[in-house]
Amino acid sequence: MSDRKIRVLLAKLGLDSHTVGVTVIAQSLRDAGMEVVYTGLRQTPDMVVQAAIQEDVDVIGISSLSGAQMQHIPKVLDRLREQEVDDKLVVVGGVIPDEDAESLKAAGVHAVFTMGARTGDIATYIREWWDTQRAQEA
Amino acid sequence: MIGSSDLCTRVPELVPAPEEPAMSTAPNEPPAPDEVDAPQSPASLSAVSDSDSARQAEKNWRRDVLDPALAEQPERQDPFVSQQMQWPVKDLYTPGDLEEIGFDYLKDVGFPGQYPYTRGTTPTGYRQDLWTMLQVTGFGTANDSAERWAKMLEQGLNGFIIEYDLPTTNGYDSDHPLAEGEVARAGTAIDTLADMEQALDLPWDKLSHLNSVCNAPQPVNLAMILAALEKREIDPSSFTLQMSNAILIEYTCVGRYIYPPKHGLRIATDCIEYVIRHHPNWIPITVVSAQIYAARANPVQELAFGFSIAMEYLDATLARGFDIDEVAPYWSFVTGLEMDFFEAVSKLRAYRKIWARLMKERYGAKKPESMQLRLISSPGTTGLTLQQPLNNIARLGIQTLACALGGGAYAITTPLHDEAHALPSEEAVRVGIAVQNIVAHETGVADTVDPLAGSYMVESMTRRMEDEVFAEIERVDALGGALAAIEAGYFQKELARSQRDRHREIEDGIRKQVGVNHLVQEDEKRSIEMFKLGQEAEKKQVAQLVRVRTDRDETLVAKTLERVREAATSDENLVPPILEAVKAYATQGEICDVMRDVFGVYHPDSLTSGV
Repeated sequence: MSDRKIRVLLAKLGLDSHTVGVTVIAQSLRDAGMEVVYTGLRQTPDMVVQAAIQEDVDVIGISSLSGAQMQHIPKVLDRLREQEVDDKLVVVGGVIPDEDAESLKAAGVHAVFTMGARTGDIATYIREWWDTQRAQEA
Repeated sequence: MIGSSDLCTRVPELVPAPEEPAMSTAPNEPPAPDEVDAPQSPASLSAVSDSDSARQAEKNWRRDVLDPALAEQPERQDPFVSQQMQWPVKDLYTPGDLEEIGFDYLKDVGFPGQYPYTRGTTPTGYRQDLWTMLQVTGFGTANDSAERWAKMLEQGLNGFIIEYDLPTTNGYDSDHPLAEGEVARAGTAIDTLADMEQALDLPWDKLSHLNSVCNAPQPVNLAMILAALEKREIDPSSFTLQMSNAILIEYTCVGRYIYPPKHGLRIATDCIEYVIRHHPNWIPITVVSAQIYAARANPVQELAFGFSIAMEYLDATLARGFDIDEVAPYWSFVTGLEMDFFEAVSKLRAYRKIWARLMKERYGAKKPESMQLRLISSPGTTGLTLQQPLNNIARLGIQTLACALGGGAYAITTPLHDEAHALPSEEAVRVGIAVQNIVAHETGVADTVDPLAGSYMVESMTRRMEDEVFAEIERVDALGGALAAIEAGYFQKELARSQRDRHREIEDGIRKQVGVNHLVQEDEKRSIEMFKLGQEAEKKQVAQLVRVRTDRDETLVAKTLERVREAATSDENLVPPILEAVKAYATQGEICDVMRDVFGVYHPDSLTSGV
């Protein structure tokens, strides 16, 4: 179990259809040795959480570029808690104003990466979280 | 030529201006034959037309002038390549480069307003009319938008592009669960005819061009505009409505599709056919290759995919019984610009020439209008940065300049410098309009037609662009054309690869981008003013929708929707029955749902989504 690949679900919520970011991230996480599952477009918070459970992922990455981040993402966090699978790492990327990033973190998002973020840093962040988790388990 | 006069003042010892010797009082001695390669001699300049001597002169120059300079200090980069195509860029372009590609002035370039239209589709460039200045816009409820558009027209725009919010472009009503948080956010919200009536409350005397961007639900959008004009008693022939109707591009990269691709194509063709038959001064199809570009295509992919898509619509329309010369003049394009100046200029010139060739050689078009590309250029499509957003004003200026120099774009839109950051602010709208006016009125670039023609470098690059686009079009043809390429995920996969490569180039510093990987401001605070829209817009929009639903004649709505279903299940044109449904105040979501029911909903698998 400890040597298995980190499993990541990348999700697009609502009607946001900007996919360049999620395409680049998917590849960079795969290059970093992770397994990536992509939900496709037009997901509801329920669909994302169901996919996360079904695919048994460790990490949920939500890409948001349309401006509706505050409508959908807190609901994902609520559903994760309701389903008692809130041990997953939730990261958000896209066009997120600073104040929204703060609110999202307060609501339980672990990290927010805006458009200038380096893909390598995102992979490193996930890897470090994973290593900390494993150290705690051991 | 702007470049050459600049060169003369900087390096007069290498390239003396031709008039200098002529004005000299020194007697003009004929050169000895062995002096022919000496560039200092005035007579040797006339010998440049003699290609052998020119080649010899270049060889000598490399040996005697360039190599010693490089021995002292190497070039700052090796190799130099163009920004997106990654084509090798030579240190110097000479007549020899044109000779190498068999450049033929009349055949390759010709005159403005004449085949192959490389120099422009009109004889006068921007000397009669400047380009139409457009700006992409739209936010809030229809009332909010109408107010802002009126202001923009007062500020000097002749027209604008209406962008709708995501529920509208995805064919959902504002109270659909997926719409939450998106209503009236990224564009104007239109649920029913009532919204469109409000949106089109405009100073019509100032407006010559309206561009409506709504692809998947295009027939509904068209019907709403038609019905609203009728209500407002506006003559549809008094302005040009340009529809995007660009559904194949949604499948390729934008993602706002509803039905499977072949049904999307049929619906788009219905709209094209209806407009050509009923509103011949409107433009029913815009191939927004700029979207392909924004999805990180390189210029060759942008043009090849865009033209392949254009030809797919064209073939579908011709199958409805038209002649090529009846329909080709309607085909319209929007191209994107990036920061590589010469790629941009070459692309614009090649764009016109390739279309002319395709229409003439492939479709046997006869009318000049069929071969004259209708092109809107859109600076800032990519290349704007989130970091140090004010720098984007410089980028927009440079890209707008490339548009103007590339010539022949009959309209230029300026996106806004803060768009990379969030939805645009009003200040950004003002600056965007100013950028266009600065290029138009302060630089002089609009005063000569296609001023970069004849540049050894620009002509070489234009030709290479042309050749490679034709080669890529052939690859798409081999797959069976654009629809088949989309169904097989070819465009999507090519773009995904391009997206990753381009991102890597920036991350690894292969390409420098100021503020991103060069001159980075470590403690940068991103505090530019952003346009904010409260939640009230969504509430107001939903309230209006509920009101319309309550007030309408439900029996009539049901009857008209049934007619839409009948048309969808047959090969009847969908626009007339949808127009009746719209007039009965059926909502956009209801009309699209009827078609969802008949055509099904498109769910690309991971292969065809490219991720």
